[in-house]
Amino acid sequence: MTSRTRLPAVFLAPPLLILAVLAFVPTAYAIYISFRNRELSRPDGSFVGLANYIDLFSDRRFINAIGVSLTWELVTVTLTLLVAIVLGILMFEFASARQRAVLTLIFLVPVILPRVSAAFVWKFAFHPLYGVVTYPYKAMTGQPLDLLSNPTTALMTVALVDVWQWGLFFGVIVLKLLETLPPQPFEAARLDHARPWEVYLYVALPMLKAPLISLTFIKMIESLRAFDLIYVMTRGGPGIVTETLDMYAFSQGFIESGRISYASSMAVLMMVATTVIFTVIWKRVKP
Amino acid sequence: MTSVKTLVSSIAYACLLASSVSSVALAAECSGTIRVLAQPRDGLTLLESHKDEFAKLSGGASFEIDYLNENDRRAKTKADASTIGKYNVYYIDEANVALFASAGWVAPLMDYYPAEYDYADFDPGRQKVATYNGKVWFAPLTGGGDLLVYRKDLLEAAGVKPPTTLDEMKDAVKKLHQPDKGIYGIALRGQRGSGANVWRWMPYFKGFGGEWFDGNEPKFNSEAAVKATETYLELFKYSAPGTQTGGWDESVGAFTSGQVAMLVESTPLVGMAIDPKSSQVAGKVGYLPPPTPLTGGGYGHGLAIGTKANADDASKACAGLFIAWATSKENEQRRLEANQFSELNRTSIMTSDTFAKLYGPDLGQALAETGKVTAVNFWQSPLWPDLGDRWGIILEELIAGSRTDIKDGLNELEGFAKELVARSQ
Repeated sequence: MTSRTRLPAVFLAPPLLILAVLAFVPTAYAIYISFRNRELSRPDGSFVGLANYIDLFSDRRFINAIGVSLTWELVTVTLTLLVAIVLGILMFEFASARQRAVLTLIFLVPVILPRVSAAFVWKFAFHPLYGVVTYPYKAMTGQPLDLLSNPTTALMTVALVDVWQWGLFFGVIVLKLLETLPPQPFEAARLDHARPWEVYLYVALPMLKAPLISLTFIKMIESLRAFDLIYVMTRGGPGIVTETLDMYAFSQGFIESGRISYASSMAVLMMVATTVIFTVIWKRVKP
Repeated sequence: MTSVKTLVSSIAYACLLASSVSSVALAAECSGTIRVLAQPRDGLTLLESHKDEFAKLSGGASFEIDYLNENDRRAKTKADASTIGKYNVYYIDEANVALFASAGWVAPLMDYYPAEYDYADFDPGRQKVATYNGKVWFAPLTGGGDLLVYRKDLLEAAGVKPPTTLDEMKDAVKKLHQPDKGIYGIALRGQRGSGANVWRWMPYFKGFGGEWFDGNEPKFNSEAAVKATETYLELFKYSAPGTQTGGWDESVGAFTSGQVAMLVESTPLVGMAIDPKSSQVAGKVGYLPPPTPLTGGGYGHGLAIGTKANADDASKACAGLFIAWATSKENEQRRLEANQFSELNRTSIMTSDTFAKLYGPDLGQALAETGKVTAVNFWQSPLWPDLGDRWGIILEELIAGSRTDIKDGLNELEGFAKELVARSQ
């Protein structure tokens, strides 16, 4: 009996130890240096209390970054889920088994592609002079279309790439989820003369509520890590209109200033905010 | 007395002998792999095909070069040098030499640079930007100033004289701008960064008499900065699409693909523009010094000895030997033979017959002329990258139109500069 109870601990201890070292040590160190004024170019540094945190709230780039990050989360999560649900339903409704297999394969490609590669491919595709996406507009109007340099369209253009990667992948998941549902509720709804969209809206989707909520959370966490996409496509520009919190923290820590204490205070705030927000949402929507 | 003299001279000779033996011994003792963090350069790629030569010279050492593009290379060298120090040799540039030197991340080069490699042969402008606080910190791999590069065919067709003043250039740009025919008047850099949009803006700022600092007091918030920004923004109306958030690559790409009439850019552009392998406009290109009153942006990139990865003198000497070999006359001669114009830094190479034969007398003349107006446009301080990058963001906002008030932007930068100076003290 004793050996049975100890066995899980034996197996769990090494990964937990590795996790503790890899996750908690950097986190604890980030919290520690966020209370100091350490800069990369100076090995010294002193305790400054909450000064970094106080400075953040008078920093227009930080305030802007909060807005950009929230917009990014809202847009990418909503659009990804919408695209996924619509695509999943369309494939389930209209595609044969063979077509579904082919489409699944095609829709999986974007997410398999490394983010940096995808970002470069799309950056060239959106180029105002040579881009394939902007070419039709240029051919029709004679004017170049520079979506990534325009402050009003830059963030949405990058978001489109994120949705392209994840929306199609989630569409495949939604299709597979629909395929696992029992057919009887669908048949019952059709016998009651429900229209196709009513079948999905009132029967299928409520039955998929739990996995869809899980998908939403996965995407919310994934969207927080949009750094690579934004870094390659716009570097936070034009100006600061696509500068998310992680992008700004990295800029402060490594690109511009080397102010790692200041950058760490941003990271700590992000960690606290996301933990609180995710916990609250999770508790509210838990199926 | 004689015996004392003899003793002193014997000691001196012994020291000299010991030091020369030790330097030879140090060189001969090099082993393992010298790790280099750099940005892509044709000259470095060429160097990698001569690894055997370095192994023989160093007594068995090899080298590995990791490449990152300019902005990433800057971020990564800074992060590496201040933390783990994995790299023995860093590729640094004029904009961050002050930071690297004052932080102690790189060692004074001349302490470990073998004299026979003749550092004094490097172009004086490049030596100047490699020097900070009276010491040399890197050996140049590339550098130079600015040139006005233009399309001879387009100017001739429009009856426009190659401009020698800024007013003439503005008129020419407006006249040659024909977007409906796929030709744009100019290409500027809009991408944020002290080495990107700010780099191209600074010749206007300095040309109009602007100054960055007087001691610790910011002086840049001036009429010169406002006028420079207004001029830059005015010219941006005629800049090729994609350059509003683009850097060197976008500007040069637009010109070499035949879509731009003229631009003021760093001298390596000429090498690319006249090479049919990289340019669709080769044979149609003319060059002049930047129009007055613009100053040329003097710059230099090169290799420096990292202090963290080279903890002792012996490893610093090995890194020094590698740098000396990599930038030696022999290797520059190879670059010249490989037609790598932008990788040439030595006076002896640039005044050689081979150079004149390859590039003609016009280019030599233009380079000599532009040398006279080449200046250090940036603020030579460890704080420069921070200040320059902040202005880069404000300038990008002005270019993109998400900000319109130039004076407000300069006031913000002044506030930032004061904070920056206060924090550094």
